[in-house]
Formats: sequence, structure tokens, C-alpha cells
Amino acid sequence: MKPILAGKSILIVEDYPAMRKAIRDMLYILEADTIVEADNGVNAINAMTKTSFDIVLCDYNLGNGKNGQQVLEEARYRKLIGQHCIFIIVAAEQTASMVLGAMDSKPDEYLTKPFNAQQLFARIERNLRRKQFLQGIEKEIERGNLFQAIQDCEQLLAANDQKMRTHLLKKRAELATLVGDFETGRQVYQQILQERDLPWARLGLGIIEYQQGNFDTAIAIFEALLQDNPLFLEGYDWLSKTYETQDKLQDMQQVLNQAVDLSPQSILRQKKLAETADKNGNLAIAEKAYKAAVTLGKHSVHKSCGDFTNLAKLYAKTNDSEHALKVLKEMRHEYLNNPEAELRATTLEVELHKKAGNEQLADDCLKKMLTLSQQLGNEVPKDLQLDIARSCFLQNQPERAEEILNGLIKTHIDDDGFLNDIRRMQSGIGLENHSEALIQSTKRELVAINNKGVTLYKQGRYGEAMALFEKAMSVMPDNKTIIINMLKITLHDLKNADHDQQKLLRAQKLFKKARQVGIDKQKLGILQMEFSNLLRKNKLEAKA
Amino acid sequence: MSGGGVFPTILASTVHDIKNSLGTLLGLIQQLTLSQSADQVDNIRQLEFEANRINHSLMQLLVMYRIDSQKFSLVIDEYPALDLINEAVSQQDGLLQLNRTVVKVECGEDLMCYCDYQQVANALGNIVNNAQRYARNALCISVEKLDGYLKFCIEDDGVGYPEHLLNANLSDPSDLDWVNGNTGLGLYFVAAIAGLHKNRDKSGFVRIDNHSRLGGARFCLFLP
Repeated sequence: MKPILAGKSILIVEDYPAMRKAIRDMLYILEADTIVEADNGVNAINAMTKTSFDIVLCDYNLGNGKNGQQVLEEARYRKLIGQHCIFIIVAAEQTASMVLGAMDSKPDEYLTKPFNAQQLFARIERNLRRKQFLQGIEKEIERGNLFQAIQDCEQLLAANDQKMRTHLLKKRAELATLVGDFETGRQVYQQILQERDLPWARLGLGIIEYQQGNFDTAIAIFEALLQDNPLFLEGYDWLSKTYETQDKLQDMQQVLNQAVDLSPQSILRQKKLAETADKNGNLAIAEKAYKAAVTLGKHSVHKSCGDFTNLAKLYAKTNDSEHALKVLKEMRHEYLNNPEAELRATTLEVELHKKAGNEQLADDCLKKMLTLSQQLGNEVPKDLQLDIARSCFLQNQPERAEEILNGLIKTHIDDDGFLNDIRRMQSGIGLENHSEALIQSTKRELVAINNKGVTLYKQGRYGEAMALFEKAMSVMPDNKTIIINMLKITLHDLKNADHDQQKLLRAQKLFKKARQVGIDKQKLGILQMEFSNLLRKNKLEAKA
Repeated sequence: MSGGGVFPTILASTVHDIKNSLGTLLGLIQQLTLSQSADQVDNIRQLEFEANRINHSLMQLLVMYRIDSQKFSLVIDEYPALDLINEAVSQQDGLLQLNRTVVKVECGEDLMCYCDYQQVANALGNIVNNAQRYARNALCISVEKLDGYLKFCIEDDGVGYPEHLLNANLSDPSDLDWVNGNTGLGLYFVAAIAGLHKNRDKSGFVRIDNHSRLGGARFCLFLP
């Protein structure tokens, strides 16, 4: 065996001391020199904040506290492990519910106990090889240099290494989809499918249809895929996303329900199911899923006080104040001295006290709520702002409520899902169509600004177009359409202006902002590709 | 919870417990192998063999239970066929050394296999384990592409399969002699795992005969 572990930092996460020692001894046989051990999930996370490990061997079952999957989820979410890190989940057996539990956080390997040094060696070696092979491409993707990533991918494909071929084709198709080159993406997936019926290739074809707005075709592909592969969870995720885009919430709920049945451990799916069922008025399903989210949240990085208040709100809806207050009490216990949690609880208490006929208490809570929300300022999430507006309406403070709503509508005018949330909130308190006029006029205003900006841009008056959008951005800071337009103008500007450091920085800042407000990966991919092209050209010219 | 609902939980947690113990046990055995004098090594390897056997039986029990209650599914990905063979041989390494069996591997570096790695490696390990018990001193493991399948062959130089096994339908449990030892349970397990591997209209299967190039039994696993 080659000494592949020398110089590599390795973390063993295992609660059972004898097993930990057995693994450590195996690693020493393989000539490992830097080994850190953790006996539970929290200690594992702490170790990862201090050291950037090359290899993590993490037991799935870690007793009370986080399990191995949750450790991985948190490490990925908090970016505690790099692209190069090999994360191996060690388990007594590889059960379906364990494997299915993962969503975006798949480990590189599952290794079942017991295993010996040779087996461990083979697994690590295979993954090291794969990571090293794809490292260049991953680095370019991380940098946003998609043009280069595609070039590198093509180059490696031409070398025709059979062992890496499928990995590369998959990457190639994903990159093509990301930069909007759907024809290439489709071709690659179809080429793969001719050889073998692989679920991820079929999923890829469905995603391309989705990105092109062919939702019915996408649905047909996802449904057929799930028919043949009922355990392929990403299929459920995409199918439900497509239904959501089409605002078919009943269908969405049904698909999520199936996925949650298969994989009850996934907190994000539970949350999604809870919210969807809640919107659909299926309170029993919503209650069960919110409860699951609260329980799973205990050891998850996706723990959120919003899950508690959503559950409490559900009880408030059915006039079950006792249960609602109990949930809020649990939340305060779980989130000691957390201003957002306190604000959420207080906002809901306004309604609960009012319903109980305690006007004075309701008013006290309203005052407390307003003070807290002022203290939090920009950090109040949009769903909580909506709740605050609701409580203001309920306690006869319509001016306050309007002020909040106007801000929300302006900022989120291109988020149709959230606009529907606003409408639902208003209908819920008998204010049907209350903000419709404002929504429509804001939409018109946005379209007008947009048209004007595009016209200016087409006339070559970039400066004026930019100024216009910048002004609009001060009113609608997170508006996706405006950010995309500003990006387009900046990129165009860069094409004409050589090596303008200032403009380069502005483009980079806008890309960051675009990612923050969650602009669709694919829309951004096209622009990023353009940007990497520009940078490349600039570099070549600088050399010449 | 009903009676039927408790058993799977007990089974799973018991298996988890035993596996932890087995892991520790095997770790200790490996340590002993390194530190003991030559005359003790055979005993230690025997220990390792027994621990491995327990593990295999346990895995089979669990997988068969899951298949039976329709809670089993494969985790399919692409792997080098050579990795699968190496994994299967690694699992049996101590035993192969104990019996001084020479293992020859014929497999191209570039041959790729779509399969559930864990299940197929275990299944192959199972056959290797079996083959070396009956082999005199040599095994040959080979892989080739054949008619849209990947064909794994394990051949030995023993006396060959008994008549009743050669005539049995390996995927039919009632066709196997469960009571009188040498049950072919391992073969039944491998056939079940093979059958779960599908690509378009093809399913995996196993075939056994006594046409080994080494003069004994020949086992073939076909994966689509």
C-alpha cells in the first residue's frame, strides 16, 4: 500500500472509545500522522472550526446529540470543510432512510462496520484520486470562472480516462445547464442515457425543461423518473419545486408528503411540507410536520425559532391558545436571550391575548413588539415583518401596518410567492385585496423603470441607465430584476472599458449581492460565464 | 407499536451493537496479528475468520429481512470493477493467508461497474470465502464484458459444486437444502442481490458450474 495518508489531517468522530481506538490503529497502519478525535457531534464541529481536515471519518450513530449526517450538514452549511475534504460516514449498516436523509449534504462515502485497514485504504484512495482529478474544475467553479471550468472539463474528457468519464460527463452537463447552454446539456445527458438508464441523467433533462419554462414536460419527466425510481429523492424535490412555480400547492403538498414519508429525518423537507400544508389549510399535516421540524431542529444547523412560532400560529388559528402558549414557552427556553425569538413570541402573543379578551395585555405586547422590532431593525426576516404588520392591524394600528407592508411590497415586488403570502395574511384578517392597488402600481413602476433603463442602455447612455437603476435600488434594495439589469450594464461597460479596476470591483460586488438575494443559479450562470470571458480576454490583452 | 413493529427496531439496534463489538474485535485481532509470534498467527487468523463469518451472516440476515419486508433498495453508482474485487479479497485477506491460498486477479483497470458497492462487494466476498474453503491452493477472479453484462468469475481448484447445488434454482429458496448444512444460503443471497440490479430490460443473475479453468467450481455473477 502506498503511503497516501502521510501529511494528511484526519478527524475521527466516534462515541465508542474502543471503536475509536480500532480506527486510529488502522490509520496508523496506513501511516497517518495527524489524527484528531471527537466523541460527539458538537466536539467534531468544534474541531472542524479549528482545523481544515483532509479526511473526516464520522460515525453515523453518535448517541444523544447530533448524528453523523447532521454533523456533515452543519460542516457543509458553515463551510467548515473544503472541496478537497473526503467525508466518510461510518455506519453499522447502510439503511435506506439514512442514505435518503441527505439532501445537499451527501458524504463522499458510506463505509459499513466492521472494516479492516485494506478496505479503508481502498476507499480513501479512490476518493483522493477522484477529488484530485476534479480539483481544477471545482476551483474554477468556486471562483465563478465557468468558462475556464468548461474548458478544463472538455480537456479532461478528451483524455478519455474511463474511470472518470461518467463523473466528467455529469459535471459537463451540469455546467452547460448552469450557463444556459441547454442544447449541450441535453446532448450530454442523452448520450449517457443511451448507454444506461441513470436517474441523475433523467433528472438533468427534467431540470433543463424546467429552466426553459417547459413545466409540463418537466413534470412528465420527473413523474416517469419517480415511477421507475421511487426512492430517488431529488426527483421529489424537483417535482415539488415545479408545482410550486406553477402555484399548484395541493400537488406540491402531495409530492412533499411522499418524500417525507421516505425520509422523515430531513428537516428542510419537513419545513417545506409544513408550510405548504399550512397554506393549503391542511392543519393536521402541517402540525405534524412543524412538530417534526422542531424536534429535528434540536441538533440541526437548520434549527429555527420560526418553526416554533409557525406551530404556535397553527394552534392560534384553531383557537387552541393553551397549546400555542406552551410552544412559545418551549421556544423561549430553547432560545434564551435571543431577540428574534422574543420578537416572534411577542408578536404572536398580541393576537393570543386579544383572542382571550385581555385588551390590556395585548396592548402591552404590541408596545413591546414595536420596541423590539425597532431594536432589530434590518435584521427582521420578511415573514416576521409580515406577522408584525398583522398584529398592528389586529390592534388598530393600521398606519404602522401600512408602513411595513409598503416596504415589503417594494422590496419583494418580483417575488410572487411572497406577494401571495401578503395576500393570504390580509385575507386571514378580513382585508381581502387590501394591498392589491399598491402591488399593481409597484409592478407597473418597476416595469416602467426597467423599460426606461433598457431604452437608455440600447441608446448607449450607460451612465444614465445606471443612475436610474441605482436610484430605483435605493427604494427596492433587494429587487432581482434591477440587480440583473445593473449587472448586464456593468458587464457591457466592461467590454468597452479596458482594465477598469473600479468597474471590475462593482461587477464583483453586484454578483455577491445577486447571490445574497437568491437570484436563480442559471440566470446568474450566464452572466458569470460572460464575466469570466471578459476577465480572460482582459488578462490576454494585458499579457500582449 | 404493534408486535410486528418492534422486531425491526430490536433487530436493527442489536445488529448495531454486535457490529460495534465486531469492529473492535477485528481491530484487536489485526493488532495481535502484527505483534504475535509466528506460531500464534494461525490461531489469530482463525479468530479473524470466525468474526468475519459472523459479520457476513449478520449482514445477510438483515438484508434478507429487508428484502422480504420490501424495505430494501440498492444504492447504485459507478465503480471500478477492480475496486470491488479488491474489497472482496480484503475482507477475506486473513483467511486467504491462513489457508495459503493464492489469488489471481484478471481485471482491466478501466472496467467500470454500475452497482451497489457494499452489497456487491459483500456478495463477492461471500463467494471468495466459500471458494477458498473448498479450494486446494488457488483461486482465480476475473472480470469481463459480455453481451451488455459485466461478468465476474470466481474459479477454484477444489472438487467442484455438489450435484444438488448444480441442479438447484438458486433464486428459489424452496429449491435449496436449508437443513443439512452446505445450504447454498450464500448463493441464494448473492442471486437475490444480483437480481435487484437492473438496466432497461436486463437483470443481474448468477450461474454456477464445474468448468473452472483450475479444475474445480466456477461461480459467475452477471451484472447488467
